[in-house]
Amino acid sequence: MSESNQPTIEICNLHHTYKRQQALRGVSFAVEQGSIHGFVGPNGAGKTTTLKILATLLKPQRGTVRVFGLDVVADYKNVRRKTGFMPDHFSLYRQMTVQEYLDFFGAAYGMDVQERTRVVGDVLALTDMEARRNDLIKGLSRGMQQRISLARVLVHDPTLLLLDEPASGLDPRARIELMEIIRELRRMGKTIFISSHILSELAELCDSVTILDRGSVRYSGSMSGLNHRDGEVADYLLTLAEEHPAVEAALRKVSGVIEVTKPAKAPQFRVSFQKKQTDPNFLLRAALDSGAQITGFQEIVRHLNQAFMDLTEPGVPPVIVAAADNAPPVPPMPQSGGPS
Amino acid sequence: MKLPALALFERSLRLETRSALMCWSRTGPLLLILLVLMPIQSLARAGMFGAPGLHFLQEMVWLNLVFITLAGLSYFASAITEEKEEMMLGLLRMTDLNSVAILLGKSTSRLVGSLLLLLVQVPFVLLAVTLGGVGLLQIAASYGTLLAYLFLVCNLALLFSVVFRNTTTAAAFTLIVLMVFLIGHYWAAGMEQEFASSHGVNIQRGVWPALTAIIGFWRAATPSNRLGEIFQTGFAGPAVGFQVASNLVLGVLLFLLAWLVFDWCTREEKDAATPRRWLLGRATRRSRIPPRLVGTRAISWKDFTFISGGRFGLILKFGVVALLVALVNLIALETGSGNVITREFEGSVLIWTSLVITAACLALEAAHIFREEIRWKTLSSLVMLPVSVPELCYRKVAGALAGTLPLLAGFVLGVVLVPEDVGKFLEAIFKEPIAFGMFIVAILQFILFLHLTAFLSLIIKRGALPLAIAIQYVGGSFFMMFFGIIFSIGGGSGGPGAICLFTVMICVVTTVVLHCAIGLRLARAAAEE
Repeated sequence: MSESNQPTIEICNLHHTYKRQQALRGVSFAVEQGSIHGFVGPNGAGKTTTLKILATLLKPQRGTVRVFGLDVVADYKNVRRKTGFMPDHFSLYRQMTVQEYLDFFGAAYGMDVQERTRVVGDVLALTDMEARRNDLIKGLSRGMQQRISLARVLVHDPTLLLLDEPASGLDPRARIELMEIIRELRRMGKTIFISSHILSELAELCDSVTILDRGSVRYSGSMSGLNHRDGEVADYLLTLAEEHPAVEAALRKVSGVIEVTKPAKAPQFRVSFQKKQTDPNFLLRAALDSGAQITGFQEIVRHLNQAFMDLTEPGVPPVIVAAADNAPPVPPMPQSGGPS
Repeated sequence: MKLPALALFERSLRLETRSALMCWSRTGPLLLILLVLMPIQSLARAGMFGAPGLHFLQEMVWLNLVFITLAGLSYFASAITEEKEEMMLGLLRMTDLNSVAILLGKSTSRLVGSLLLLLVQVPFVLLAVTLGGVGLLQIAASYGTLLAYLFLVCNLALLFSVVFRNTTTAAAFTLIVLMVFLIGHYWAAGMEQEFASSHGVNIQRGVWPALTAIIGFWRAATPSNRLGEIFQTGFAGPAVGFQVASNLVLGVLLFLLAWLVFDWCTREEKDAATPRRWLLGRATRRSRIPPRLVGTRAISWKDFTFISGGRFGLILKFGVVALLVALVNLIALETGSGNVITREFEGSVLIWTSLVITAACLALEAAHIFREEIRWKTLSSLVMLPVSVPELCYRKVAGALAGTLPLLAGFVLGVVLVPEDVGKFLEAIFKEPIAFGMFIVAILQFILFLHLTAFLSLIIKRGALPLAIAIQYVGGSFFMMFFGIIFSIGGGSGGPGAICLFTVMICVVTTVVLHCAIGLRLARAAAEE
């Protein structure tokens, strides 16, 4: 595989146990270069453990973890040079000023004074903290401290950013601004691996996502793949002006239709079909031909919130999903609700 | 019916009762009794001394006295400051709990736990009567002394814990006041006598009798003085003496004072980090990282500046050495022995002052160098730097050691002033293998102590330094005693040389184990953040 096509992160069959508690059970997924990859899961799912292994802070007990093709155990120094990790807590020297703090990390990464001055200026500009560069960190607000944490991660210009709950505890403005910074970082060519509980923001931000639950991957792949249940089956909702019993039989006759259900008392039908065998236009034609008066016909797209709820529902058995990003297999899941 | 003031107190007691650590800690005194009892009994059987019961009681009581003092510097001094450091005091104050309830819940519960640790020993210490040389009254009086002293120390530490923002400052002030209380009266009495004799003052007139009486009360209030009386043969005094009464009264007054100042000192929630103005003077300033500082030397710079105190710390340490030397000279002049102020005298004072302050600074830095990173959760950021954990540690240590340069300068200046004395000392050491061995053992024990302190600071939240002192003191003394007995009873031909060699081996092995354990523990702590 050429370096340009090589995934930034490759995790294969990763296991990790804390005393008696199994935190990760055969986690496998990959993250493409230059993407924003969301990492979601309920509390205790194993997200932070995975992040710490990627950041070389924890050693994997079983399985392989590669970052830029480098093993996180054998080649940890090079992984650290290419990676920036922002933990879910403030990791700040509160007695330093903002400039001192960033200057310190710049020096520790081996930058000379000219380079440090330039880089510190750049990251302060990017995080909009230039005006506070000579202030003590302990006097800054939570949002500003979060920005300083992000600025610190950027000092050595890493290609991969591992962000653990970067927006937690921030006010809406600070959160929006942080998301803008993250988008800007993607435009700069960085790969961003972001763990968060704020699903609506992740849905807008991410190109791909991994959903983790009880130490197992429930889904890993593109956002569009998640939204459309899987690559082969599509769900549509047909809404009629009034009840028309003949339409159900007409829809069932269309080749490729898997299922027609009536989800509500309203005159609506939910149709699932094989994309390869039929087209939504044929369904619409069949419904019209049956004499029904149609008021709505739209694809059912699941939001990340809904997918998260479905995939992490108690009782759903863990299903390990292949790491391939293009056609992610999806575990069996309960029927989702109405249209988005 | 539950009193609101006792709610937190009751909760703390319940938690302590359930805590496995507290359960195990109560077995500590029993282990201590066994460790004290065995060598004393062996030595008494070997006919090396009489009255083993008295020796046993003395050992136990003095050890307890040291432990109570150390507890004052950690366990009691952190009663309120730990809440301040974790920004929890404000939340406690927002509840229905008043200041008395908080003080009782945070401090008095600790006092009760410690009282239990003392009381659990009493049935076993009664063995001293069977061993001989001591009476029940002496046991009762000595444990009464300890209980009263414990009450005093707890409330003194509580007061400083209320007044100061962080445990380090509270512990430092507790230590200073306790040292003044315990040994200050010797100095005061000595100064009074010397001043009177050198200035021809009649101490029977004017304010002198009152001053003498105050010094007398001060001396009588100290546990060391009281224990000296109790351990005298034929002690028939009251079981509860002036020391007990005075310590209890002082303890109550200190508690009341802590209560009075509680609202005033804790009204605002303040950051527990060391106030920067002490070190730097301004709240905002430009980066002071030297331009040429690149690579892992930056880590050393950070620890030199923030653990060792930086340039301000250098000046401060130099100032402390100068001040102490000046003080010794002043005392020498005031006590009429000005003729001793010679080059040799100044050299010796400089050497010893520098050595003592260096040891104190290194011990404090060992307790803080890794603890501060854990406290502010900055270890993960540091460990993510492209350096190995051992290299990171050595760089940090190098930075902290750089802060002791003025002390080294003081030491070198002392050596320059008395080169012949230093030469004689070195000659004596290298001439006698035993002396050389003892010298090496002393250095190794100090290195071991620093490692132990650093390691403990990684596994316990506070009190690493006092605990390391206690472990080193107890471990060291019992190690020496045990092997002394083994070698003397066993009749080995090695004698002191063999003990020395064995001690060196034990010190080296333990230090290496702790050295590796620190690295492993640091990596684990970084992952646990």
